[in-house]
Amino acid sequence: MNKEEIAPHVKEIARVLEGKVKEQEIEKDLDNYLNVYRMSLEASKRHIVRKYGGDPNALTKGERKMLSQLGLSEQSVDLLVRVMSSNTREVVVGGTPKTIQSGLLADEAGNTVKFTVWDVSKADLKAGENYLIRYAYTKEWSGQPEVHLGNRVVIEQRPQDEVKVPDTVIVPQTGSYSAPVTAKVSELKENMNNITFTGRVLALRSKEVETPSGKKAMFTGIIADETGKVEFTAWHDFGLKENEVITVTNAYVKGWKGIPRLSFGERGQVTRPKLKFPTNEELSQAVRKSIEDLERSGGASDVVLAGTVVDIKKGTGLIFRCPECNRVVQKGVCQVHGKVQQVPDLRIKIVVDDGSAAITAVMKREVTERLTGVTLKEALDEARETMDPEVIGHRFEEKLLAKPIELRGNVISDDYGLSMNVSEAKLVIPDVKTEAEALLAKIEVI
Amino acid sequence: MAMVREVAWRVFASEYNSSTMEIKGEGEKAPSYVVTPLGAMVNRMFIVGLLTDLQNLGTEQEPYWRALLSDGMSKYYLFAGKYNPEATVVLSKIEPPAYVAVVGKSRTYSPEEGKIFVSVRPEKIVVVDESVRDNWVLETARSTLKRIDCVEEAMQMESPTMEDLAKLGYHQALADGVVRALPHYKEVDLNRYRGMVLEALEQLLPERSGDLPIPTDAPSAGPEEIDDEQEDEDKEELVLKLIDKLDKNKKGAPLAELIKEAAKAGIGEPELEEINNSLLDKGLIYEPTIGKMKRI
Repeated sequence: MNKEEIAPHVKEIARVLEGKVKEQEIEKDLDNYLNVYRMSLEASKRHIVRKYGGDPNALTKGERKMLSQLGLSEQSVDLLVRVMSSNTREVVVGGTPKTIQSGLLADEAGNTVKFTVWDVSKADLKAGENYLIRYAYTKEWSGQPEVHLGNRVVIEQRPQDEVKVPDTVIVPQTGSYSAPVTAKVSELKENMNNITFTGRVLALRSKEVETPSGKKAMFTGIIADETGKVEFTAWHDFGLKENEVITVTNAYVKGWKGIPRLSFGERGQVTRPKLKFPTNEELSQAVRKSIEDLERSGGASDVVLAGTVVDIKKGTGLIFRCPECNRVVQKGVCQVHGKVQQVPDLRIKIVVDDGSAAITAVMKREVTERLTGVTLKEALDEARETMDPEVIGHRFEEKLLAKPIELRGNVISDDYGLSMNVSEAKLVIPDVKTEAEALLAKIEVI
Repeated sequence: MAMVREVAWRVFASEYNSSTMEIKGEGEKAPSYVVTPLGAMVNRMFIVGLLTDLQNLGTEQEPYWRALLSDGMSKYYLFAGKYNPEATVVLSKIEPPAYVAVVGKSRTYSPEEGKIFVSVRPEKIVVVDESVRDNWVLETARSTLKRIDCVEEAMQMESPTMEDLAKLGYHQALADGVVRALPHYKEVDLNRYRGMVLEALEQLLPERSGDLPIPTDAPSAGPEEIDDEQEDEDKEELVLKLIDKLDKNKKGAPLAELIKEAAKAGIGEPELEEINNSLLDKGLIYEPTIGKMKRI
């Protein structure tokens, strides 16, 4: 463990020893136990407390964490935080009224989290004060962790200088409790909220929807910045126009299989900033991403990626589909609709890999025909001639395997990893010499 | 958690063959990895090289192929048998020498405790052209450099963790591998691998060879005899001609005869060996079997 990792534990021991021993002393001891004698952290801490005549049982058993490290279902966690806001209110639980407290916590790193106190006799958190909260737990709320203080909780008020919250942390008056975040398209992830976003509206459509309060206009479209494109939904008429640059506040992200969708409504505001922004034409280009980037963001609309074809999946080549449900049929039999008049189709399913990450790519007929130069009609003729429908798949394999390829399309992610629905595909011949020269120049600099 | 596909690492043969660390997957279907000195955690790999030697160690009915695949510097060992039907069929049709691309799985063989020989079990093999090979050399050089950087960063940390390295922008799989490799391989000679990358890039830029930078404090490759370059090339030309002449049955020129003929032309055995090595490096000749030399 390095100095930084040890620090919170040194503080913890100092707290139990109530200032009897200097922190430097404790740090030296703990470093010795951990890094020289290789004892476990828990045992080391108990030894040190006992050595100086403290009570080892006063050490917290929960794990001390920063707010950014909080998982969605922590069982027992310790936090050193400032209470940014706190409201007490009555709720009815199982027919009996109960007093609970809720609000916002912040830590020194400037992260925030919502909290709820379920037993006010155990913990009464006052806004503006610092506390060491022990034995708290977390639950998921809208994709984010929320801290709960139950009946096991122990709190201890701490001096003002122990937690200094950066000025950037703002407590919103209403609505969302988390601090606003300014984000680019490439940073958008499912379940984020209270986002401030600036982009150019590339496409816009309005739709009428039925709501309990009557008909309502909603707007969908595509908005983009230099890092990519994202689909959006506006639940309120902000008078949006195509091609204008807008800044939206209090937006949130819903996703489908990792493709984020930006949403904003009445709680958000739309302003039109005067600033230099990439043009419509520049933004309409698909943004180039590495497969690794996509792995990190989980999905994206309209991106270009490059890699090498390392596998050709079953179901590549000439296939037959059920006219009812479009499923691929075997020997004219659909697993749902039985014997059917099968419809021929062309498809390619490949794995593209760039040495850091891999993605499955699926191409429908038009893309397959353009990439291979083989039309569905030619494929059918050839299969008939050779009496072998597999021959097309083999031909595609020979053409594609081990070749560098460039793909454009939408990327989704699920349990099986990333996959792309390809809209454009082309084999590329990289300029090896130029790139080798560039790489060499880089080594020469070092 | 569903099985996510293992990435196909790009690793030069010299780095791969230096591996002495293996992580055995425990339990059913858990993947195993060969961890290279530069922290590549190889379960699957993608290789393009020159197939120089192909031998059936099995029978006609049940072939078991051993193939040697050269990346221009070192060789990979490939083994394919009845469990790799697709690759076996392709191998039986290839006539070496040929550029091939291989997607395969890492394999190890441990004859005694602490000793590991690594090889590759091909899943897919396909004959390719030179442009595919050149692109692979470039990619592999690039990813080797990234690993060298990552190991170098990790060496400067007191106790590097995966998170520390991931924070610097390295892919999680690489960060994981480097953190595992470091305590096992301890002091890795990074300059050896830098030299290997330079040599690889040199293959792509033949006109630049000779004025490539030698990394500082790299082990010197011996005195350079720059003045004799022209003479060397003449001698290489001569040896190539001798090989052509002596290769009567198209199975390669027997080395013993080559030594005799070269001696007549005033080239001694040690010098001949140097010339042969140089020709092997340039990819102009290869050894179809031990003791034979053949033009490519």
